[in-house]
Amino acid sequence: MLELKRTLDAKGHGVLEMPSGTGKTISLLSLIVAYQKAYPLEVTKLIYCSRTVPEIEKVVEELRKLMEFYTKETGEKNNFLALALSSRKNLCIHPEVSSLRFGKEVDGKCHSLTASYIRAQHHSNPSQPVCRFYEEFDAVGRQVPIPSGIYNLDDLKDFGRKKGWCPYYLARYSILHANIVVYSYHYLLDPKIADLVSKELAKKSVVVFDEAHNIDNVCIDSMSVNITRRTLDRCQTNVDTLQNTIQRIKETDAAKLREEYRRLVEGLKEANVARETDIYLSNPVLPDEVLQEAIPGSIRTAEHFVGFLKRFLEYLKARLRIHHVVQESSPQFLKDIYEKVCIDRKPLRFCAERLRSLLRTLEIADIADFSPITLISHFATLVSTYSKGFTIIIEPFEDKTPTIANPVLHFSCMDPSIAIKPVFERFQSVVITSGTLSPLDIYPRILDFRPVTMASFTMTLARTCLCPLIVGRGNDQVAMSSKFETREDFAVIRNYGNLLLEMSAIVPDGIVAFFTSYVYMENIVASWYEQGILENIQRNKLIFIETPDAAETSMALEKYQEACENGRGAILLSVARGKVSEGIDFVHHFGRAVIMFGVPYVYTQSRILKARLEYLRDQFQIRENDFLTFDAMRHAAQCVGRAIRGKTDYGLMIFADKRYARADKRGKLPRWIQEHISDGSLNLTIDETVQLSKHFLRQMAQPFRRVRPAPFFTRFS
Amino acid sequence: MDEEPERAKRWEGGYERTWEVLKEDESGSLKATVEDILFQAKRKRVFESHGQVRLGMMRHLYVVIDSSRTMEDQDLKPNRLTSTLKLMEFFVEEYFDQNPISQVMFLLFEINTFFYICFDAGNPKKHVAALKKAVGSTCLGEPSLYNALNIAMQTLKHMPGHTSREILIIFSSLTTCDPANIYELIKTLKELKIRVSVIGLSAEVRVCTILTRETGGSYNVILDESHFKELLMLHVKPPPASSSSECSLIRMGFPQHIIASVSDQDAKPSFSMSLYTLYCMRTRRGLRLFALCLTLVSAPHLARSFHHLFPLDAFQESPLEEHTGDRFCQACQGELKDKSVFTCPACSSVFCTECDLFIHDTLHCCPACIHTQGAS
Repeated sequence: MLELKRTLDAKGHGVLEMPSGTGKTISLLSLIVAYQKAYPLEVTKLIYCSRTVPEIEKVVEELRKLMEFYTKETGEKNNFLALALSSRKNLCIHPEVSSLRFGKEVDGKCHSLTASYIRAQHHSNPSQPVCRFYEEFDAVGRQVPIPSGIYNLDDLKDFGRKKGWCPYYLARYSILHANIVVYSYHYLLDPKIADLVSKELAKKSVVVFDEAHNIDNVCIDSMSVNITRRTLDRCQTNVDTLQNTIQRIKETDAAKLREEYRRLVEGLKEANVARETDIYLSNPVLPDEVLQEAIPGSIRTAEHFVGFLKRFLEYLKARLRIHHVVQESSPQFLKDIYEKVCIDRKPLRFCAERLRSLLRTLEIADIADFSPITLISHFATLVSTYSKGFTIIIEPFEDKTPTIANPVLHFSCMDPSIAIKPVFERFQSVVITSGTLSPLDIYPRILDFRPVTMASFTMTLARTCLCPLIVGRGNDQVAMSSKFETREDFAVIRNYGNLLLEMSAIVPDGIVAFFTSYVYMENIVASWYEQGILENIQRNKLIFIETPDAAETSMALEKYQEACENGRGAILLSVARGKVSEGIDFVHHFGRAVIMFGVPYVYTQSRILKARLEYLRDQFQIRENDFLTFDAMRHAAQCVGRAIRGKTDYGLMIFADKRYARADKRGKLPRWIQEHISDGSLNLTIDETVQLSKHFLRQMAQPFRRVRPAPFFTRFS
Repeated sequence: MDEEPERAKRWEGGYERTWEVLKEDESGSLKATVEDILFQAKRKRVFESHGQVRLGMMRHLYVVIDSSRTMEDQDLKPNRLTSTLKLMEFFVEEYFDQNPISQVMFLLFEINTFFYICFDAGNPKKHVAALKKAVGSTCLGEPSLYNALNIAMQTLKHMPGHTSREILIIFSSLTTCDPANIYELIKTLKELKIRVSVIGLSAEVRVCTILTRETGGSYNVILDESHFKELLMLHVKPPPASSSSECSLIRMGFPQHIIASVSDQDAKPSFSMSLYTLYCMRTRRGLRLFALCLTLVSAPHLARSFHHLFPLDAFQESPLEEHTGDRFCQACQGELKDKSVFTCPACSSVFCTECDLFIHDTLHCCPACIHTQGAS
């Protein structure tokens, strides 16, 4: 609280680590809301970014409770407006559109009903379908502001249904004057979406990134582009369509193209003025130089531009037709493209903007169909704009299947600060928070900002409800480790199996076990099956396995929870960095123990990773090993943190790898876990683990808040 | 215990960190901790005054003991089953002492075999004998909570509505293999007003938490043997009756034992008087034990149940240093040596720890109070 207040006072940025389940959200919300009330001019808006839709909903519920409390205590009705924003898929109430299954389809369909030229056509030709909710909103909704209150996604939908307004556009419009906005962090970080949604948000806002331990990866993903042969094929179709449309329009409505041409000559003056007056959040895809100049003559007319795109596509196709891995930097790529197909750097840089303008002019309804070409244009702009922080890797095949040609061009961003920079620059305070941010100093370094506060908080516990144990040896004293040299070792696998078997006999209800990768899990489980360990485990608990398939996994998860609920007990075998490790909580009986088999290092042979590590070393002086360990430990912490979700909850955290005992690994765990690792629980054998766990579980099963003396008195009486 | 098989050897058991319990005081001595531990052990009694509530004093208790393979576990010495059965013997005695007009049944269970240790409801001696016999039984397989509850329910269903119907499960395993949805059964149990309590021997299991919460029982997990005993003792006291249970006046017979030699003219001549013939005051004739039409009680039984309704208030505990009066216990006249002394709130007499325990556990009345009442 104190640290947060300091951050707000200083109008700076902060990094806060708070254990999950201890009221992190509510304390952030209550302080910032109070701040907003006390200094309405200093902080006008709170932008709360979370990761998934359920998390967004949870935040809104917390906020609702807070507001109810305010009303109860002060007795007056407050006029706060808070709302959640999500994609069209979650907010659409149009009967036909909302029945579509995929987000992209919904977006495309929605666009085809609400685009301005469609609506213009509707005026002349009433049989052209439009969305009546949007029409209604456009006619009335903008004049009448949404009444103050707290709106989650369902509330918005209900409100929309009642009024006949489109909830999505209503929400998007309302975030401009809402006091609190809750949405996913893609809306701020992904340049493509941020440009549409968030660019008009006031400067005096406080931005909170919750669950932000992966924020650097989100930034990188939002700036990276992967191009496969399939993308290029679809691009080709896109370009053909463009050409045909241009041809058609030229015959019917040449004035339109001329109008566009005139506009392009004037350049993007307007946008430039806007940026200088600081109205909009800047867009990293739209660099400053682009704004100051007019679009170069070579791509100004529509035909020329299409021709230009064709050349560019042909070039990319040629590049993909290779048999060995190529890695090069952006300047190298630009030089090559200039030599081969005579494409200059400058027009490339305008590619994204030019394409957007063209699509607008051509009145193409279904934007979703044009996503490949948009992707390519973004790539063109990015590659020509940033000479540093990006790398281009062309792989002729995937590592797993070296015989099947599947060329991919990775244009990968290595510097997460590029995507997040505008956010830090624009907004007054940015708070990055999560349960697992240790070690704290690495985040400001890789995101390239200067925080005013950095703090790691621990839990104040009524009882020690977590029990981290580091198991380093089997009963036969063979060291347990998932490191590369020993991972195929028979003894290690057997010991891992024994550990799980013993734990399954003493831990009630649910156990979640994490492996470092799917491949490793498959190997181990197969080996356990041969050794008969699985059969023995199944006498104690049922076994469920996470697979890369989302549907299968959610099915397994459902059955797992059912088994825990019915008292049969279950084990979920899953993978660190998988779906389970990131988003799913195992409260109370769903996760009484988490076992982490091995240290979840990333796949270090990946070229993208290697490039990134190199970049980190050169730019930020972060050693490869430091970063790898940091990354592994934050995932490990994330995995084991799934089990403790609040003070009444309790759980064992078992780190089954002897490497965890080393100071460099242990020191990178969050402080609230580190605190409970005593020197005595560092390099345990399976036996000792079982003994300690038994004791712990019995202690925890005692009624909560009953202080009882040390229970070992029998031996003396 | 000595004739236990070899595997019960101490060094073959689990790894224990006994030293962690001991803590040095400032001077580095262990003595204070040890004394403290001993003292705590003495005062293990749990004060839990219900106040003035209706108690279900006629109890039908069904003790269901898990006999799955986890009962072979040696964390209770020599193993869980033996230890449990031993404590059960103690429990039976205590139970009938406190609840003379109640009944108890024992059942060992695993997934689909059930083994009645003793079906004879009201005779503590037979129970103890049967429990002793069951010690050697083997533990195999998985338990099924559903089957066990089902069997117990079938029996308890027919017990009269005014009695308190209870099931006490000693649950050692952490898993249950059920043939059907247990939540349905829990609903039925709730409707039948059967109270299910569970004592877990290993850890907290979710389904037991729900089971006990729904049916109004208690759920405890043991820490060690003495805690186990303590938890069992909690079940000796009659539980408060749920307000919804029927209440009715029950006819009870206070029979006179008729000595066979005395010939009674009113008795039906058709059967000869035996040692077990009782004289019924209501029908005015001698009856065989098995043909009784009434619940049979003796006056002392009732009196012993009676104290539950008016429990003796807990004595006030105060450190010895603060105590100013006599340095002698009112009851045993011994010198007060323990850390604390206990004062009766009514007559402010002082007692030592031993006597305090004796008064509350056995006497159920303050001797000093009785004395002053008798004198006046």
